Amino acid sequence: MRNLPRFMLAKIAFRSFFLQSSWNYRGMMNMGFLYAISPALDRLHAPGPAREAAYLRHLEYFNTNPYFASIVMGVTLALEERLSRGEITEDIIHDTKEGLMTACAAIGDGLFWDSWRPFVAAAALAFAFGNYLLTPLIFLALYNLPHLYFRFFGIFWGYREGTHIIRSLRQFQFPQIRQSLRYGTLVLLAYLVPNHVNLHTPFLLTNLPIEYFYFGEKVVQGIGALVLVSLGTVAYRARIDVLLISFLLMVCALVLYHWGILI
Amino acid sequence: MPEHLTASLLIALIGGIVDLDSTATWQFMISQPIVAAPLTGLFLGNMFGEAAAGLKLGLMVGTILQLIWIEQLPLGMNVPPDAALASVLSVALGFIAGHGYESYSEREVCYTIALLLAVALGLLGRSLDMFVRRLNTGIDAWVSQKVESNQLWAIAFGHTLGGMFTFTKAFIFCFLVVWLGVEPLRYFTSTLSFKHASGFIVVQGLLPAVGFSVLASMCIKDRREMRLFIGAIIVFTLLPAKIWLGIGAALLVLYRYGWRSAAK
Repeated sequence: MRNLPRFMLAKIAFRSFFLQSSWNYRGMMNMGFLYAISPALDRLHAPGPAREAAYLRHLEYFNTNPYFASIVMGVTLALEERLSRGEITEDIIHDTKEGLMTACAAIGDGLFWDSWRPFVAAAALAFAFGNYLLTPLIFLALYNLPHLYFRFFGIFWGYREGTHIIRSLRQFQFPQIRQSLRYGTLVLLAYLVPNHVNLHTPFLLTNLPIEYFYFGEKVVQGIGALVLVSLGTVAYRARIDVLLISFLLMVCALVLYHWGILI
Repeated sequence: MPEHLTASLLIALIGGIVDLDSTATWQFMISQPIVAAPLTGLFLGNMFGEAAAGLKLGLMVGTILQLIWIEQLPLGMNVPPDAALASVLSVALGFIAGHGYESYSEREVCYTIALLLAVALGLLGRSLDMFVRRLNTGIDAWVSQKVESNQLWAIAFGHTLGGMFTFTKAFIFCFLVVWLGVEPLRYFTSTLSFKHASGFIVVQGLLPAVGFSVLASMCIKDRREMRLFIGAIIVFTLLPAKIWLGIGAALLVLYRYGWRSAAK
């Protein structure tokens, strides 16, 4: 028997957009989580000690992927509802919430931060280098499709499924999706590297016949970019800071320009 | 109201809104440099009657900053450099300072120096982020006390206060940087000789390589993927530089390794 109306769940989904407004070092997203679900807690628990206990229960440490937090909220509300009917104890809510937030953090961070965002960014960069002025809109539209899906449907889904949610999450085959997104990003990157690192040298202009100039320029640019990116990758994997790499590149480029090797 | 003051206030407002998106609220990714920088360029360009130029500058800056900070994310305790504020400030400083120059090379140098300066400002933005989080920790303790004494309104109040701190921090920071930073940047650019100035344009063309290296480090996990990557680069070097070739190949790979394998 579910008591929370759909409007209430939609309101909580909307409030979940403000999950991290008061992110702090002690409870991380705790205040945001409590703020989001508080209308439902007010409805489920009568004013007095029960409601106060519910508020204090959710002021404890909470940290997960912000897009998957809706799922945790939905499951938590399903359990709060059962607690209000006296079917379970507080410990079950605490343990389930803790386990679920860890699982959702792992799945959500891996999917959104590690795979989806780099893929969408690489696609948007391909458009940006081509001077497509609508690039920001393409990026936002592509990125937010799964984001909004999980934000809005996550809460309904978590509330309906309760603790069975983990079994349902498996149907998405996240590792498979992540791997394919990684390969897709790699291919986009392979397109970007030879075409959009601007590396020009005056030697081709003086030594190549003009009919081969364009092709020669493209090959030299492609090889040069590959070497540059390989060196950068080695440096980055050796844990050299990206800003230091940028600075070194800037110094090298200025020196090579000064010597007339780059134009 | 003087034009410079109006521009500073506009940038402060954009900075505040964009910075809210980076962690505190929404997370629609308006705060990503590829969106934040063109957005700033568009508004600023519109104000100066050069909307297209502003948008193009924003796109150039956003592309480079997106690449440099593509791996930086606010996960758990990790506070990354503030890419959102860096994007907004880079475009603002470059556009306003470069606005007065007639020659292409002087404007481009202005943009590149503003970009390099904004990277440093992004690091300063991180420190301010950490300061706000410490303030929020104090609010959290206060809210806990209030809830224990059954004053439940404190949660909405404390939570809203946290968001306001983030906005105010970004607003003041952006305003001060744009208000005070444009003239020194213009002065520095004017002291460079033409030879040095052109060198900075070469740097601008090579900077994407750093971001590509970061992205390659994220994506390449083994030798097989390394071979796939190098092979694809050779193919794309020989093919014409058409965007649809890149997008088409990526979609093909998604289908081959993702949806088809998942269906099996």
